[in-house]
Amino acid sequence: MSKVIIIDDEPFILMMIEDKLKRAGLEVISLRESRSAIDVIRKEKPNLIILDWMMPEVSGIEICKAIKSDPDLASIPIFMLTAKGQEDDEKLGIKCGVERYITKPFSPRILMETVLEQLGIKQN
Amino acid sequence: MNNSVLNRTKEDLRVTVKELSDTYEELSLLYRLTEEFSGLGVDEICRLLLKEVTSLLDAKTAVVLFLGEEGDHLYTKVCFGDWDRNTTFRCKDNFLWDALHKKRTITICNTNDTGREPSNFNCNSVLIAPLTGKRKTIGLVMVADKTSGDAFYSGDMKLLTAITSQAALFIENAMLGQEMQFFLTGTIRSFVKALEASSRWTAGHTERVTRYAIALGRLLGLTSQELEKLRIASLLHDMGKIATPKEILNKADKLSDDELFEVKRHPIVGAEILSELKGFTEIIEWIKYHHEHYDGTGIHGLKGEEIPMMARILAVADAFDALTSDRPYRKRKTLEEAVREIKNSTGSHFDPKVVEAFLEWVDSSDDVISSDPEVDF
Repeated sequence: MSKVIIIDDEPFILMMIEDKLKRAGLEVISLRESRSAIDVIRKEKPNLIILDWMMPEVSGIEICKAIKSDPDLASIPIFMLTAKGQEDDEKLGIKCGVERYITKPFSPRILMETVLEQLGIKQN
Repeated sequence: MNNSVLNRTKEDLRVTVKELSDTYEELSLLYRLTEEFSGLGVDEICRLLLKEVTSLLDAKTAVVLFLGEEGDHLYTKVCFGDWDRNTTFRCKDNFLWDALHKKRTITICNTNDTGREPSNFNCNSVLIAPLTGKRKTIGLVMVADKTSGDAFYSGDMKLLTAITSQAALFIENAMLGQEMQFFLTGTIRSFVKALEASSRWTAGHTERVTRYAIALGRLLGLTSQELEKLRIASLLHDMGKIATPKEILNKADKLSDDELFEVKRHPIVGAEILSELKGFTEIIEWIKYHHEHYDGTGIHGLKGEEIPMMARILAVADAFDALTSDRPYRKRKTLEEAVREIKNSTGSHFDPKVVEAFLEWVDSSDDVISSDPEVDF
């Protein structure tokens, strides 16, 4: 079973994505705070990480850099959630190895399709 | 907490999260549509609206109906699927008007069961949402028959209402933009009529110069927006002549120095008259400098590239029409003579690049001066 870790400080976003992914039969780990993110990722070795860019304490881009510089984790694809108007930061994210950008407010339906496509899971 | 309470709470949470997800889906859709609608014209907004609603609601047919000017009929503006684009509805006693009057979305599971007009309706299950702007009711959107055969649900109704209200505001704005454009066009045409009424010698000159300038502009690779501005500048280029005494404009003899000064002043006078039009700064500059000489010997002494490109185009177009038209003091020149005069003034009076485009246009066009000039906006 594919495992996805979602890290976002907005509880509703977290619950919504978690619910959708679980319905699709995926194993989901949700984190509301970013401090422990790297440790959890190291321990769980997920197939995909969905990461919010703007979080207090440790930002999404910092987590992304840490993942991509760790040879054990570097191959895990990352989807970055960004707020509207943050498009200019995309270049920085691409440099850091972000797989996809998803702008909030996003369509949960399209996010699901994109996640399943990334994980190579056929959709009904 | 006992098990049944816990299960109930879990179920409540599940439903809440599902609702949240649907609302978020709607929010993201409205964000996207706001971006896509902005800057579009009325028809484009309506087409995009139908594309979205048919895809989201899985509908076979969708139509945007606009309220006629008298408010007594609805006509098809844009349609998708099995719908005759000439369809109109006159009778007010039918369910389509209910949505308009009540200003809310209505759904009908089986239109034949209503027993009301229009009875010859091809659709069965329909959702109808009014397009209501801030100032007025524009019309309505009707979505009919899901491809799955299902009826429309309350979620569909909510979604259609949200999209339609958003679209209505954009359509209303686009309509206002269109009205302003028509008003501007009408005002400019009235200016031209007022000007040309003062002298029979100048009748038709404005429209011909506009036609020539646009042809040159196209050959010089101007964008459609630049061409539109050039068109306005061409139509208004001789506005200053409205202040030139009629006797001078119609004089058959050689003009005195004072009279010549009056005529030569017309680009400056034109720029002064038009200076009240605040959004026309560039256009006014082009009008002001359309009689400058490329070598710097004109009234303002601007030279070469200092003269705006559009003014350089106008100069050639204007001179060409003047040469090929009768004047009170001389007969018109032949095409060959006029072309020769313009060629001879290349670099002194005219920009060589514009003359090059002019020669290309003369060579490639069969109806350089013979055709009836028509300048459409």
